[in-house]
Amino acid sequence: MKFYSLILLIIISLSGILLPRDFDHRDIPIHENGRIKPLDTFVRNQLLVIYGKRSIKPKALPEELNSKELSAIDWFFDITLNPEEGDKYKIFNISNPEVVASLGLYWDPGHLYNRKEILSGLKNQIDYITTIQGKPEAELTQFDTHMLKVYSNVIQYQALSYSLSCLLPLIQINDENIAQSLSINPGDKLSYYQLMRKANKLSTLMERLLNRDQDEWSESDYKLQHIMGVLNEIDQDKFARILKIIPPENGKQNEEWLSPWELMASRIIGPNQEKLLITLESFLKSRIDNDIVQSKSLLAKYENLLAHPFNGLFILTNLKLETWTNKVNLFYKSIAFYILAFLLLVISWMTKPKLLRQISFAFLLGGLAFHFFGVLLRIIIMQRPPVSTLYESIIFVSLIGVICALLLEYTRKDGMGIFMGAIIGGVLHFVGLGYANDGDTLGMLVAVLNSNFWLATHVTTITIGYGTSLFAGVLGHVYLFQTIRTPLDKKYLKTVNANVFGATLFALFFTLFGTILGGIWADQSWGRFWGWDPKENGALLIVMWQIMMLHLRITGFVKPVGFALGMILNNIVVILAWFGVNLLNVGLHSYGFATGIAINISLFIAFELITGLGTYFWAKNRQKQLTAY
Amino acid sequence: MRIKDIIIFLKQPKIFVFAIIWMMLLVVLGTLAQKDMGLYAVQNRYFSAWITWFWFVPMPGGRLTLIVILINLSFFFFNKSIWKIKKLGIVILHLGAILLLVGGGLTAMFSSEGNMVIEEGAQSNYVEDYHFMELAIINTSANSFDEFTIFDQLLLERNKVLSHSNLNFEIEILNYLENCEPTQRTSPAGVQHKGMLKNFILNELISEKEDNWNRPGIIYKISNSGTNADGMYGLFLGQSVSQTISINDKDFTIILRRKRTHLPFSIELLDFKKILHPGTDIPKSYSSDINLIENGAVRKILIKMNEPLRHKGYTFFQSSFIEGPTSETTVLAVVKNYGRLFPYISSIIMCIGLLFHLSQKLPDLFRASKEKIAA
Repeated sequence: MKFYSLILLIIISLSGILLPRDFDHRDIPIHENGRIKPLDTFVRNQLLVIYGKRSIKPKALPEELNSKELSAIDWFFDITLNPEEGDKYKIFNISNPEVVASLGLYWDPGHLYNRKEILSGLKNQIDYITTIQGKPEAELTQFDTHMLKVYSNVIQYQALSYSLSCLLPLIQINDENIAQSLSINPGDKLSYYQLMRKANKLSTLMERLLNRDQDEWSESDYKLQHIMGVLNEIDQDKFARILKIIPPENGKQNEEWLSPWELMASRIIGPNQEKLLITLESFLKSRIDNDIVQSKSLLAKYENLLAHPFNGLFILTNLKLETWTNKVNLFYKSIAFYILAFLLLVISWMTKPKLLRQISFAFLLGGLAFHFFGVLLRIIIMQRPPVSTLYESIIFVSLIGVICALLLEYTRKDGMGIFMGAIIGGVLHFVGLGYANDGDTLGMLVAVLNSNFWLATHVTTITIGYGTSLFAGVLGHVYLFQTIRTPLDKKYLKTVNANVFGATLFALFFTLFGTILGGIWADQSWGRFWGWDPKENGALLIVMWQIMMLHLRITGFVKPVGFALGMILNNIVVILAWFGVNLLNVGLHSYGFATGIAINISLFIAFELITGLGTYFWAKNRQKQLTAY
Repeated sequence: MRIKDIIIFLKQPKIFVFAIIWMMLLVVLGTLAQKDMGLYAVQNRYFSAWITWFWFVPMPGGRLTLIVILINLSFFFFNKSIWKIKKLGIVILHLGAILLLVGGGLTAMFSSEGNMVIEEGAQSNYVEDYHFMELAIINTSANSFDEFTIFDQLLLERNKVLSHSNLNFEIEILNYLENCEPTQRTSPAGVQHKGMLKNFILNELISEKEDNWNRPGIIYKISNSGTNADGMYGLFLGQSVSQTISINDKDFTIILRRKRTHLPFSIELLDFKKILHPGTDIPKSYSSDINLIENGAVRKILIKMNEPLRHKGYTFFQSSFIEGPTSETTVLAVVKNYGRLFPYISSIIMCIGLLFHLSQKLPDLFRASKEKIAA
């Protein structure tokens, strides 16, 4: 009963995606790092770089706003519509006290500063920054890298703030004569781009101005001079070219998208691009005027304009889907469900075992549903198989681990599967979240990896292999733990031992064929089946370790307790193959070079060695004691 | 009786266990060594070596260890107890493993690989070896043809004397340098120094991490020509002005170059394309538009990343490229491998075997737990 109501709840909460949704400002396509993404994703990542989070928390918001939280997209529209007011957000997160001090700022626990503070601080450091900019990366101190980061962040902030200023109605024209010759009403506000479009009318006025001496100037002429001054001032913003939202005129795949300011500078604007720019301009005006009806209809128009000839470049529904995924954050939901499942299971050991265990099982299933759905959406959005980056491999391995655990629970029905699933799902999710904060998790792939067939076969298989191997390792832990707890329940221990053995066979299947498929990919792409590359060797080590353990067990060289220890140690081999080889910085598999994970890997190895060996000897001791009686 | 004893000894699973542990150790060492050593050197030291030296202690290298595993695996089939329908999956699996190892052996012994470097608009019909050099002596006296005399790297050892009926002189190798650098002479050259050595000396350098980053050089002596061409000469890889000598109306050009293997066809590069993900430096694809020219017939082919050309047992892969000021140059990796199909076949066989075994075994391993609940 509870189980079904939970499923229903999940369906309802996910059904948002099934309903068609109007195109809105978050979905505006933008091109960044080789990928076309919704504006929402772009601004979230920008905010992540500057601020460290994907939405702004109250601490960084101006007090008068009095709101709980500000989304990245709202922040973005606020700073682009009012570029001069960008100082109100304290979103520059500087974690290095030395940098804070040298910028002449006060260090406080929040260490958040606004643009003005940073800019005035940087003024005194500009010479130093120019000297360190020329240095190779290896020679920079930690202070230097932080300083450079602050510098590039503030430039990025400025580039964002002024990225749309050419489309904003900033130039008020009060003079009747000028208004008339531009065929507008006096008092109207025009944008830089609008004035540019009326350039021929403006130039006749200008000619008149230049042909006359200044002491003969009329009031209109002085007004005109003022307008030219404003225009010139706005022209200073043309460095702000970060926002590449206008697709190439011909709608071709491999051509660059341009930002409004780039188009202003190039002066070659195609008719399709012009329509987009004008619609965008009107949309921005409607936002300034708070005209909701108007802005909605303009967005609908923008959507229509995107259809042709740009429809070959992106799939609009996928952009909407990505915006939705950004908002619901499925992986946060699944992690919450896994934790809940774990807590309920722990409570079930104390009271109402059967009922609570079933509810806990349902929560694990719920977590899996979100988890699976999240992975599925990524496949749809990127139109490629589930695993192509280190981040994705973590999410996928944890998915496989949870599925294995659920299957185990399905056969055992004693909570062991729930326990393992919640731990594997929860822990790996946390590791994944750490990687997600590196930036856009949906990046483009280098040429050799850009092959859906091999990503789908080799990479997916080997990653399933990692997942099933880790599962077998955790089962090994469970076996040793249970041997210590109930060394007399031989029958029970035998079933767990059979599970460890079965999981190992299962894992071997995927690691072995994942590795061989990798060889076949290498043969297809580089002409050699095996090249002794570190990543290949890592995979080979997992396979060899598992084959060794199986043979040791079958031939009776090791007993169940030893086998369990062997599979725990296999976890170390898996982690080294998965993350460790990236630390060597050699080889062809250069998709996930990460720095700073060495410590985490060492901690993991230490943990597995201590708990593995500790429980192994303890378990052996217990067995010995009991046989002695 | 004695044969039986040998079989019993060789089929012991203990051998396999020790061998695989040793192999794992070699793999770990060989992987870690890649931080400082080049891949080629690591392979020669650990993986494709018969004997690996640990200081002065000889230990089995990767090749020997794998052969031990292969022998042990072959004798596995002498176990009477495995010939049951229940163990069919296991038997098939081990059969597949044998094929995999045999294929690996064939590849290790008979495959060859190298590079084909072609500039846009040019054509080539030879493959350059990654590691081996050769000394080419070309007689250019005739108008209609050149006469090539090639000495393999194996002959380019110190104090070896090279001679051939094509040549009216002898070459004595004075020194072969794995890696060197030509530097301007500071002291005046002696009378014996000829050619490049009049102005330069070859400085020996320590070998680079990767073998193919080295610039090998050679110092040799020409003697018994009966002319003043006799003397000491030097050459290095990629020397822009090649050494020419003329002896008794015969003109020779002497070049130190990567070992060439000629193909029965040639390849012309029409166009090399590099496409980036727009707005980034991330490459999206590399490709070479080529003409395959064979017996006068021309076939147009596109070689792309992950989509090589296979022809007459050779496979051409898009491997690298060189960007020049006016035109681009493609680098194709060329491989000839007789053991190519083995991994494909063996993986299918192993897959069938393991699936068969799993389908038999897994229900048992997980049903056991159900019974416990029922009890």
